Amino acid sequence: MLRDVFKSIGGIENYGLISMIIFVFFFALLILHTFSLKRKDVDDFSRMPLDDVSKESDDIQDI
Amino acid sequence: MENQTFYYDNKIVKNFAYATLFWGVIGMVVGLLLALQFIWPALTFGIPYTTFGRIRPIHTNAVIFAFVGNGMFTGIYYSLQRLCKARMFNDLLSKINFWGWQLIIVLAAVSFAGGMTTGKEYAELEWPIDLLVAVIWLVFGANMIGTIIKRRTQHIYVAIWFYIATFVTITVLHVVNSLAIPVSLFKSYPIYAGVQDALVQWWYGHNAVAFFLTTPFLGLMYYYLPKAANRPIYSYRLSIVHFWALIFLYIWAGPHHLLYSALPGWAQSLGVVFSVMLIAPSWGGMVNGLLTLRGAWDRVREDPVLKFMVVAVTAYGMSTFEGPMMSTKTVNAISHFTDWTVGHAHIGALGWNGFLTFAVLYYLIPRMFQTQLFSRKMANLHFWIGTLGIIFYAVPLYWGAITQASMWKEFTADGFLKYPNFLETVTQLQPMYATRAIGGALYIVGILLGLYNLILTIRAGKFLPEEAASAPALTRVEGKRGSGEGIHRWLERRPVQFILVALVAILIGGLIEIVPLYLVKTNIPTIASVKPYTPLELQGRDIYVREGCYTCHSQQVRPFRSETERYGEYAKAGEYVYDHPFQWGSKRNGPDLSREGVVSGRQYKPNSWHYNHMMNPQRLNEQSIMPVYKWLIYDDLDISTTPRKIRVMQFLGVPYPQGYDKIANDDLMIQARGIADDLKSQGIQVEPTKEIIAMIAYLQRLGKDVHAAGMPTATITGK
Ligand code: HEC
Repeated sequence: MLRDVFKSIGGIENYGLISMIIFVFFFALLILHTFSLKRKDVDDFSRMPLDDVSKESDDIQDI
Repeated sequence: MENQTFYYDNKIVKNFAYATLFWGVIGMVVGLLLALQFIWPALTFGIPYTTFGRIRPIHTNAVIFAFVGNGMFTGIYYSLQRLCKARMFNDLLSKINFWGWQLIIVLAAVSFAGGMTTGKEYAELEWPIDLLVAVIWLVFGANMIGTIIKRRTQHIYVAIWFYIATFVTITVLHVVNSLAIPVSLFKSYPIYAGVQDALVQWWYGHNAVAFFLTTPFLGLMYYYLPKAANRPIYSYRLSIVHFWALIFLYIWAGPHHLLYSALPGWAQSLGVVFSVMLIAPSWGGMVNGLLTLRGAWDRVREDPVLKFMVVAVTAYGMSTFEGPMMSTKTVNAISHFTDWTVGHAHIGALGWNGFLTFAVLYYLIPRMFQTQLFSRKMANLHFWIGTLGIIFYAVPLYWGAITQASMWKEFTADGFLKYPNFLETVTQLQPMYATRAIGGALYIVGILLGLYNLILTIRAGKFLPEEAASAPALTRVEGKRGSGEGIHRWLERRPVQFILVALVAILIGGLIEIVPLYLVKTNIPTIASVKPYTPLELQGRDIYVREGCYTCHSQQVRPFRSETERYGEYAKAGEYVYDHPFQWGSKRNGPDLSREGVVSGRQYKPNSWHYNHMMNPQRLNEQSIMPVYKWLIYDDLDISTTPRKIRVMQFLGVPYPQGYDKIANDDLMIQARGIADDLKSQGIQVEPTKEIIAMIAYLQRLGKDVHAAGMPTATITGK
């Protein structure tokens, strides 16, 4: 059955177009999302690697 | 909220770090041996276990899965615990992950040396080891996801997203590309044939680069670069876009490895478009990394960790610019099948993966051993020698590639190929190959310096196996999306849902490319004259696969006049329908062989020539870099496998007559005697039961069927 569905799409070249549309749509949503993030949250997230809770290795500074 | 005390598992990180260094040295020394074999082919020592075609997979697999793989685990096991503020989910799983992975590496090396290979680049492991890989990989995934679930942070930091994408995608790729039917414990046939096999293989191959060599290392970059620079990543927003755009786009790009091949045009075009688009997220990531260091460049001058990182990220930027360029048809027409690809791969492997791995090791080891790096000077020296090594490695290969491609394509004023003898174009590259070997050697010297430095660091310090930390427990947030919480915010704290969405993102591309080819048979026009291999040819083909001839020879003539003049008719999709696995190859250190058997063709050679050539290529062409294959003449062909091989082929849809497995060996012997008799008439005494007979039978079959179809050589594009 699936085979027929694919066949009926005809020019398989349409795949290029379809995939581009999916991507552009996806990308637009993504950009929208990132800009809707709150500044404070973003800052908090980006500081996560630096927020070290280990007791010992913290004070080993770079050589 | 009350603070909980817990302990980071440093021991597992240490084990992976040691394994990284150990396999790094081994993998690269094997690489150096390969480089030297191009200069002195006698360095294969005339024995099977060290011959080029067998140890090349050892080199590539060791560097990718042993060196970079262990490096990735080192970096992930350390950073994941800290980013989740939690110990690894389960210590036993960590141990199984570690020892299982090392076992796989040892099994891989032994089996490749023994000639057990599927013949698919970067996926050469035979099925029992493939199964083991799947199990160990799932153990890693379970351990990682378990850790994420029991984390003490609300948000999942972007580095971990990259780790998750790595796990999810590699699982899918490994399973889909490894599907095969076993013939014996050491031999299987992939379920795909020809064009399909090629598409699946390069969908895998390309995405192994993407999701084994790129995404985990981007994750490492997003953790260790801010750590080492002691400042947050330049733009977290950019990192979100980077992540989703990258994983969405990457998965489509595989067909750029198959341009001008028999793959349908639409699939090639998709590959090109998405490859070019990939520049955007890749460079987004690079810029994000480099800008993190703005205002801290004085520290880069001082700190070897940062130095390694800067070159690593720059190498990432270079290869992700070069890659899309090589995916355009114009550049690809020149670069494909030459050492350009090899140069490109090494900028990535030595620059991006290698240097980032060293940065991570130089960062981690002193910390876990509660001391300072033994010598900063030595680390700087390592850095400079390594950088020089990369330059000496890559530049001559680019130079050589352009030289060779021009020679392949050059015509005389009368319209003949200027260099009809392929070997001339190889001999021309000898100085470049020598310089490349020096580059590789320099890089290894650098590693050894680093190793020495780290050993002294370890000696001077005291290892901290359990590192205490404390953090408040995570207050359970409702699984449901809170009001005012965006979908992505919600996703960012729900690991399982996150995995599913990532899976969908990568599946879309894969499905759209592969499914049509799978379902729509009309995409692969069959050619009536193309018949299954005879039993003897089939056995010969399996020897071809076993010896890794594809590491130097292609079987794929592109539709350029320079190629059809040199080899014969260009490749058609329909001629490969019985090829389990496909053997198109990816580089040409020797000529294309797909038209070797066309009697009226340019490349045709009598049986006796092949016999003498396999016995000693240098006796026929002093300059040849092809290894000797003496053992094919001494070793008996194992014909006990024939019936089973025929049955598996039948199962895969190859139209041998019903019950043919029972009489296949009779046919095999008849054909073998014919070849032995012919050799005898040329004064060569060899029994029909020897492997060489099967190999000759296979070589003499190549291209015959398509030729018989009388395909026109029209529609040729460009030179
Ligand atoms: C290290 C790279 C390398 C490997 C591995 C290699 N070859 Fe070659 N091969 C060459 C080179 C270079 C030439 C051209 C010079 C010559 O004829 O020896 C060549 C030539 C040939 C030719 C002659 C082609 C022609 O038309 O002139 C055949 C046939 C051949 N190889 C078969 C094989 C087979 C079969 C294997 C695997 C068992 C193999 N080669 C492995 C490099 C390699």
